[in-house]
Amino acid sequence: MHLKNPLTLQNKGYVFFDSETMKTFISFLMNQAELIAAHKKGESSYVFRAAENVDEVILDYPRTIQPLKKFFLPPRETLLNFNLEENDFDVPDMETKKRIFFGVHSYELQAIHILDYNFKRGNPESNYLKKREESLFIGISYTPDEYHFGKSVGLEIEKTEGMCLYIEPMEAGYYMFVVDDNGLKLLTEFSSETVALKTETIKPQPKEFQKKIKYHYNRLPQVFDKVYDSSVWKKVSEKCVGCGTCNLLCPTCYCFDVRDEIELDTINGKRERFWDGCMLNTFAEAAGGENFRDKLHNRTRHRLFRKFKYITEHSGELSCVGCGRCTSFCPANISIIDIINNLIEEVSLNS
Amino acid sequence: MELQTKDLYNPSMADIVAVEELTETEKRFEIQLPGDTALKHKPGQFVEVSIFGFGEAPISICSSPTKRSTTFDLTIRKTGRLTDKIHLLTAGSKVGIRGPFGNGFNASDFEGKDILFIAGGIGLAPLKSMIDYTIDKRDDFKRIIIVYGTKKPSEILFPSEIKKWQERDDVEFYMTVDHADADWKGNVGVITTLIPPLKLDEENTVAAVVGPPVMYKFTAMALKAKRLPDKNIFMSLERRMKCGVGKCGHCQINNSYVCQDGPVYNYLRVKELEEAI
Ligand code: SF4
Ligand code: SF4
Ligand code: FES
Repeated sequence: MHLKNPLTLQNKGYVFFDSETMKTFISFLMNQAELIAAHKKGESSYVFRAAENVDEVILDYPRTIQPLKKFFLPPRETLLNFNLEENDFDVPDMETKKRIFFGVHSYELQAIHILDYNFKRGNPESNYLKKREESLFIGISYTPDEYHFGKSVGLEIEKTEGMCLYIEPMEAGYYMFVVDDNGLKLLTEFSSETVALKTETIKPQPKEFQKKIKYHYNRLPQVFDKVYDSSVWKKVSEKCVGCGTCNLLCPTCYCFDVRDEIELDTINGKRERFWDGCMLNTFAEAAGGENFRDKLHNRTRHRLFRKFKYITEHSGELSCVGCGRCTSFCPANISIIDIINNLIEEVSLNS
Repeated sequence: MELQTKDLYNPSMADIVAVEELTETEKRFEIQLPGDTALKHKPGQFVEVSIFGFGEAPISICSSPTKRSTTFDLTIRKTGRLTDKIHLLTAGSKVGIRGPFGNGFNASDFEGKDILFIAGGIGLAPLKSMIDYTIDKRDDFKRIIIVYGTKKPSEILFPSEIKKWQERDDVEFYMTVDHADADWKGNVGVITTLIPPLKLDEENTVAAVVGPPVMYKFTAMALKAKRLPDKNIFMSLERRMKCGVGKCGHCQINNSYVCQDGPVYNYLRVKELEEAI
């Protein structure tokens, strides 16, 4: 199988912002819409949240704990409000809110693109798609740490698809690349005059990924055709505690559970959905109590097959975007790169 | 984004019009959608049934669309909080219904053929929708053979329908129980013991199998021994369908979403799906 073509790194030109201009620009954006950006949480953790203060917005960060999906598929979302006395329900308002997502990495955009695919496919789901309307994304480059591997899954740092502007930090400030008309419009409104875009080639410092998958990503579907019964699954699952963190924090995992909660008044309640994960033991349990994936190594296999084969078969794209969250937040230090490279080794030995 | 989105998770508040106790743990509920709307289901499909505060569960439809147009039947086994609560409901109560979901049986796979229904335990409920369908359109099908097994005589579902099937001379009915009681005069043994004695025209026989998970492998072996081609075997598989609309991920068997591609699978496909049976 051949995966969809890798992206083009396109832009219409750039302007230069010094640090002060960048701050004014962020304040300007905060007046335009709700501005979601990375913020510090504790010593060395980062979260996406609505910006309240320009000085708290972080531009240089490795990754946030929770991915952007939380804004479109919240960890906990009310599907229905019900009333037990009347035995009836209503649906909470799904107002679309204009939001600008500021300073997001290319893998995050690709992950949203994959979620879009899944929520549009078959039965398009309004809960998700309504929240997706009116979102603008302003991207930023990042310095890969020991967990990123975007390039190995076809996602260079400068992949600008889906962004309206793309920021490349430099010594004395920032290059602001215009990716599409929305980006140009924002810059024009900000400077309240016609923006003269520069097009001379600039060479940002090259950024290398420390982690690499041994095969080109186009070959990964073939690898996954051969590894269903691999011994790797058992080996890598030995330390796994089945906590599901790798699912919940993955920007492309979208499985959910639905539960009813009754309020203390015992009259009103909600039907809510919650993030769920195929690594959790109860995920594949049926009504009769049978658990169709009761072994950790079967669940690990399922998780990886979802990323590299099952969804790829019809979407034509990998469902792993190389953000490194599953690895950097795994309490058992299980590395997705190691799993894939072990599988590749096994396949190349046996062929 | 000009997409036609639907309110996928909103149930219709339907009326329970009749309740019948079938066994100690199973009841049949006759359900009517608001405004007398027809469910427009196919045999073998399921709905999501819910009670506010107790949640939602997938339940197969056990009546055939050929029977009544404005009501349908669900046979519900008590297995937990939600189904315990449903069992307390009487005619006049309301339940939430979403669906119908899943592919169901394709009549064209069975038309003009001898049909072998194999039902284990509560598997008779989903199969009954197809059995009723084939009996109502009797001329479209050749032989109708029903093989049914339960654990014990007290767990026999639909005794009045079974009696009718036994009385018809155009339906062949065989049943067995794993464990007999003092009054039981019929066969004793697991369901697969009923298959070897059957006289089948294997090329022209199509089997529909529904039962507990353990039953499928042994039934497939027994049918192989009768030289039934794989493509003539259909199985309806049970999974934990939460959303029913291909979103929540709970029903997956490898790369297949049971709520979309199933629950009815051809055996050729079942063999490709390693996690299926
Ligand atoms: S985060 Fe690590 S320990 Fe937890 S389920 Fe995933 S692989 Fe296992
Ligand atoms: S599988 Fe891991 S590296 Fe890949 S997208 Fe999910 S969290 Fe990121
Ligand atoms: S039941 Fe939710 S995806 Fe099938």
